[in-house]
Amino acid sequence: MEVEISRRRFLQGSVALTVVGGTMAGTTALFSEEEKASSASPRVPKTVTTKTGTGKAEEIPFLCGMCVNKCAGFARVEGGIITKLDPNPYFPKSRNMLCPRGNAGIQTAYDPDRLKYPLVRIGKRGSGKYKRVSWEEAYDAILNGTKLFKGLKQILDEEKDNRATIGYCNGEGLSKEGFETLVGQKLGSPNYVDEVSICLETAGGGFFATLGVYPEIDFEHSDYLIISGANRAEAIITPDTMDMFKRTKGRGIKTVCIDPRFTNTAAKADKWLPVNPGTDLAFVLAMTWVVFNEKLQNEAFMKKYGVGYEEYKKHILSHKYTPEWAEPICGIKAKDIYTIAREFMNAEAPVYYPGRRSIFSPNDYQLRRAMAIFQALSGNIDKKGGYIYGNPIILPPEYVNAPIYAQAKPRFDTEGIAFPTLKSGSWIVFRNMILEGKNPYPVRVMMMRKHNPMMSVPNTAKTRKFLEKMDLNVMIDILPSDTAMFADVILPEASYLERTSPVKSYGFLEPAIVQRKAAIKPLYETKEPEVIFKELAEKLAKPLFEISKKYDKDLQEQIKLRGEEKVFEEDGWNLADAWEKPVHEKNKEIVEKAFGPKAWEILDEKGVYYPHMEEYHKQLNPNEFQYYPKNRRFYSTMGDKKRVICKYDHLATRGIDPMPTWHDEWKFSVPEGKFRVITGRHAQFTQSGTTNNAMLRDLIPTNYLWINKGVAKKMGIEFGDMVEIKSEVGQGKLMAYPTEKIAPNQVFMLHGFGSESRGLELAYGNGANDAAILKDDIEPVFGAAVMHSTNVEIRKV
Amino acid sequence: MAEAVTNEGIVAKVKAFLATIPHNKITLRDLLNYPKTPVNNFIALLTVLFLAFFVIGVGNYLIHGHEAYGVTREHPWGLLIAVYIFFVVSSTGLCIVGSLGDVFGFKDFEVISKRAIFGSIVTILSGFAVIAFEIGHPIRMLIWNVLTPGLRSAIWWMGTLYGLYLTFMIIEFVFLLKHDMRRAKIFGLIGLLVGLAAHSNLGGVFGFLNTRLISQGVFYPTYFILTAFITGIYLAFIMMGFRYRLNFPENIRKMLVGLAKIQGLLLAILMFFETWKMMTAIYGGVPGRSDVAEHILTTWPFWAEVLFGMLIPFLIILKSKGQNVTGMFWGSLIGMVGIFFMRYDLVHDTQLKPLQMMETRVYQLPPEWVHYTPSVTEIMISLGGLGICILLYYIGTKLFNLDADTEH
Amino acid sequence: MARYGMALDYKNCINCKACEVACKEENGVLLGADKHRIWVGVNEIEGVWPNLSITSSSFLPSQCQQCDNAPCEEVCPTHATYYDENGVVRVDSDKCILCSYCMNACPYDARYVDDRTVTVDKCTFCSDTRLARGLTTTACQNTCPTKVRTFGDLDDPESEISILLKTRDHFSLKANLGTEPKLFYLT
Repeated sequence: MEVEISRRRFLQGSVALTVVGGTMAGTTALFSEEEKASSASPRVPKTVTTKTGTGKAEEIPFLCGMCVNKCAGFARVEGGIITKLDPNPYFPKSRNMLCPRGNAGIQTAYDPDRLKYPLVRIGKRGSGKYKRVSWEEAYDAILNGTKLFKGLKQILDEEKDNRATIGYCNGEGLSKEGFETLVGQKLGSPNYVDEVSICLETAGGGFFATLGVYPEIDFEHSDYLIISGANRAEAIITPDTMDMFKRTKGRGIKTVCIDPRFTNTAAKADKWLPVNPGTDLAFVLAMTWVVFNEKLQNEAFMKKYGVGYEEYKKHILSHKYTPEWAEPICGIKAKDIYTIAREFMNAEAPVYYPGRRSIFSPNDYQLRRAMAIFQALSGNIDKKGGYIYGNPIILPPEYVNAPIYAQAKPRFDTEGIAFPTLKSGSWIVFRNMILEGKNPYPVRVMMMRKHNPMMSVPNTAKTRKFLEKMDLNVMIDILPSDTAMFADVILPEASYLERTSPVKSYGFLEPAIVQRKAAIKPLYETKEPEVIFKELAEKLAKPLFEISKKYDKDLQEQIKLRGEEKVFEEDGWNLADAWEKPVHEKNKEIVEKAFGPKAWEILDEKGVYYPHMEEYHKQLNPNEFQYYPKNRRFYSTMGDKKRVICKYDHLATRGIDPMPTWHDEWKFSVPEGKFRVITGRHAQFTQSGTTNNAMLRDLIPTNYLWINKGVAKKMGIEFGDMVEIKSEVGQGKLMAYPTEKIAPNQVFMLHGFGSESRGLELAYGNGANDAAILKDDIEPVFGAAVMHSTNVEIRKV
Repeated sequence: MAEAVTNEGIVAKVKAFLATIPHNKITLRDLLNYPKTPVNNFIALLTVLFLAFFVIGVGNYLIHGHEAYGVTREHPWGLLIAVYIFFVVSSTGLCIVGSLGDVFGFKDFEVISKRAIFGSIVTILSGFAVIAFEIGHPIRMLIWNVLTPGLRSAIWWMGTLYGLYLTFMIIEFVFLLKHDMRRAKIFGLIGLLVGLAAHSNLGGVFGFLNTRLISQGVFYPTYFILTAFITGIYLAFIMMGFRYRLNFPENIRKMLVGLAKIQGLLLAILMFFETWKMMTAIYGGVPGRSDVAEHILTTWPFWAEVLFGMLIPFLIILKSKGQNVTGMFWGSLIGMVGIFFMRYDLVHDTQLKPLQMMETRVYQLPPEWVHYTPSVTEIMISLGGLGICILLYYIGTKLFNLDADTEH
Repeated sequence: MARYGMALDYKNCINCKACEVACKEENGVLLGADKHRIWVGVNEIEGVWPNLSITSSSFLPSQCQQCDNAPCEEVCPTHATYYDENGVVRVDSDKCILCSYCMNACPYDARYVDDRTVTVDKCTFCSDTRLARGLTTTACQNTCPTKVRTFGDLDDPESEISILLKTRDHFSLKANLGTEPKLFYLT
């Protein structure tokens, strides 16, 4: 009796309206009929959802990969099919919960649009024309190229073994370090960019510079909360989201939400103050002024731990950062600023929530510094109910035997940046300098994994040009993303439910180590990332060694001294030696070495381990668990070591304000007739990677443009009307959502939609891509992307 | 073996019984043999078209299931339910009209008894034909209605009683054909009572909906009987109009004038009821009822119901004090259009107010009024029901003598 | 034999809809905007920017109210809708004729048509999945980030839910209809 309700039919039913036309690009495109048919292999369920059974089943611990949080769960596997993902009650970080995305992870694993086989490009870049090849052929194409593109061997030969000609990028994830090992350490490329410079780099940086930590919050004991910009009800972070909202709404934590938009977080707050985008710094400075002016601060605490504290006090008072000064800048009434500052300082355990969100304004680094100092003024740091430093479990470090490439040049993406980050650089500066020809040597290769800069780095037009400029693009991913469509070789990876990942340590207050175990074997012809790294390393090692031998004088010297074989093995030129053991075996080795065999047994069975877990962990009621008894939690760990760096002189050496200072160029203004576009999240989507997820798309069919109701009425725009959004760098079309929840001069759109990859049945042509509209502005400290600086025009179409 | 013999025996008995029922021997040729006037040709063509619609509509339903219909989670009952009610109300109405003569002994109305009773059989069969494709599992219904009867369910009573009603109507009709007026009267009375019970239960289906305040309560069960009578009289005019091509013999005319006078009274009562229903609903101020009632006043099908179903026929009757029977023939055709909207409104208005007034999707307008548009398939099956009705009636006029037996 | 009910600490709800997804995955519910057993309701926010009413926009997680006096059960002509041994309102899809009367009678919009069986479907408290496997939580309760729901036996005075209902104020939805829901909203 059961009939299959296909994704296609579902699409026709509820989403067809939002999907614009376009047929597959011929039979050589990614998904011919034949390939579709084989998706019905035994391990892939026939229906979108599968009712769980009552018979035999395995419960395999996994770590969620739908976003960056790494919540723990158990995958229920019945007859080789994952039928359900359940939360893992042992992990203190995710506290026995999975969010909607976590629950919908099955749909990502069984996405019929998955990359199933290695592919080599046979058409024009971006045309989506690929040929299915064997893994060996794919590796060979990376090394030797094809008629259409050059391989690594030729490129490195032409570049005289300058390994910096290879650029690489990788999105967040547990196998990210392996990819860094492969391309960075083993292949010798310094040119690495990742999600950090398009995410929260300044938040982490600002807090580290000020307090030496990007703290965790003890919501269980705090009683006053200012949450600005961060939208914890919709951008779910564990354990913050779970802990916070159990105590809002008059149940312990008085909450002030500062956000230009009325978010679900605002809906849970006691007070919502719509701030002008990018002006939170003025709000914090004014509150700081109130505190100093009325001597509300914990003077003893600051005297003891503050660095440059008196100067900061003088700085704030002398600049006259009064609430009256701030009101016209940030749009928050002076009266409210006074009240909040006083309430905050009078509270028992107040918290100015430190993060976490992308960078919205160029002053974000200073904002974070000001927030951290403001928090410190209450003295509520390194203690119950406050900012927590905690005591993370340290896993033994791993050593990679990396060869030294004498010909490799250093990275160059430093233009306009005060403190370039050596490790992950700045996406925008790296890309733009190459596009503008400011790179000191050619960058000709992009090795990419699990990263979609076409939809995540502001100014998609430039990213497209950047990718087109490369001689060789390689992508390792699970879905044919917009960026994958620019790859010459695509290597299909196992999704997070099909792979065991390197063991990881999480948490400060209640630390634990966790392991993601493969729930099922890799589907289709996909492989686990570490297997791909190893095989690719094996393939490349000898031929590229030959090239180094040709150009690398140091290497020639060493070979002369010690013999080729010895140098190859001992100096790390054998690229594959970093993956000698499979991940699971390596995890076992690490954990047994650090915590003993019993620990490994627990970890392997439950997915989680921490010292005394068997003794500490117990169920308190149907919904709650104790992970650590209260007296064993790491509330206060810093003692006298903590510092509050109010004045950071080092910053001044590179032209950055050593103390948070307001500059009027940051004032918010929008020309008449235009709108400031702001972006953000809903709980049902993470990034572009989740917009092809059938389950989640069922909840939110497309990204709508929030526009103020009154303004929309004047413009004749109604709910569901198609509108064009246009900035100086790009445009898009999406449906309108007139609402009172946004200011008249602003519009909001959900990030991650508007894919142009025809391989993504549900995501293709659906909604608008915010990255295509946002200007590629950077902030001055790290060169990280600023997301809320773009003005747009809106037109009904 | 013995069983088979018995079965054969029963079959033979039934055959023998059927042979005793007076009827004309007809062939397909007889059916096609009608006066080829433009009007007749048009009706014949329309009937064939409607029957074709029925086949196409049902085919589409069998392939696509309920997705071929415009019904939704919020509006699970659609056009087919309205059409079903339209037919069974017609049936009950004709039963009442038919009973005036042969059950209650009003001599003047005996001339229409047989025709009306046959009409009631035809209309209910058409109704069943339509509802069979609205209910998801009609066969299953027959089984479980008997095995696990839901005695607290108005739908169970309605369905079961209508089944019985159909049986009694057929029996009554057979006795009428056989001039057995005594038995006809007995079964007519039982049939009428069962029919009235069934019909008020149909009203009860809506009346029991405690969460649908606009329909909940005593109004519909009683109003259903009233409107059934009205519908029966409209149909009596239509049937007689066609039978005598508007050239009514005196006895028929006399009967129709009588019916028109009754109709005038009934319409007056209906309008009175309807007015007070809306008044109490609106001025009662109860959320879920007053807002719905106010909204109903802004919808055109409501005014179609009032205008066609009540006002125009009422004015025709009033103007000639019931004497203008030809006018009432046309008035009755208009009246039946109104009656259709009355049924449609009943079904649709019951479901107007969403039970979920909150937004359950991140991007949606706040729920306001539930919208429903019948799908092409639903419209086809509905018209098909009308086609079946006309065809069965036409066959009946050929097969049986539906006129009153002159000598008795 | 238990009498299962659910207490909802609805103020915890952040409208993330994890419950809806968990329910669909656990019970193999079809996709489609109309096909949900459980949901979170939100009222359109009142006020004009920036003076919005925070309280007007609270989140109300909901599903079948598992009434003790269920209108859907009463109107079913074939007893396809029945109370199971644990007081859970269930639908026997072999008996359901899809007359849709129950969908019209349910005050909570908790019923919909499953396109596979062409019968009415609804929340079962995971009776045929999780509870049948001996688990003591429903999928929606178990996955909830902020732990809105507590599921349990109302007849057991020691159960968590019984204690919650004894110690905390609560209300039921559309209580005036006399449906006696076994879903309780904690205040």
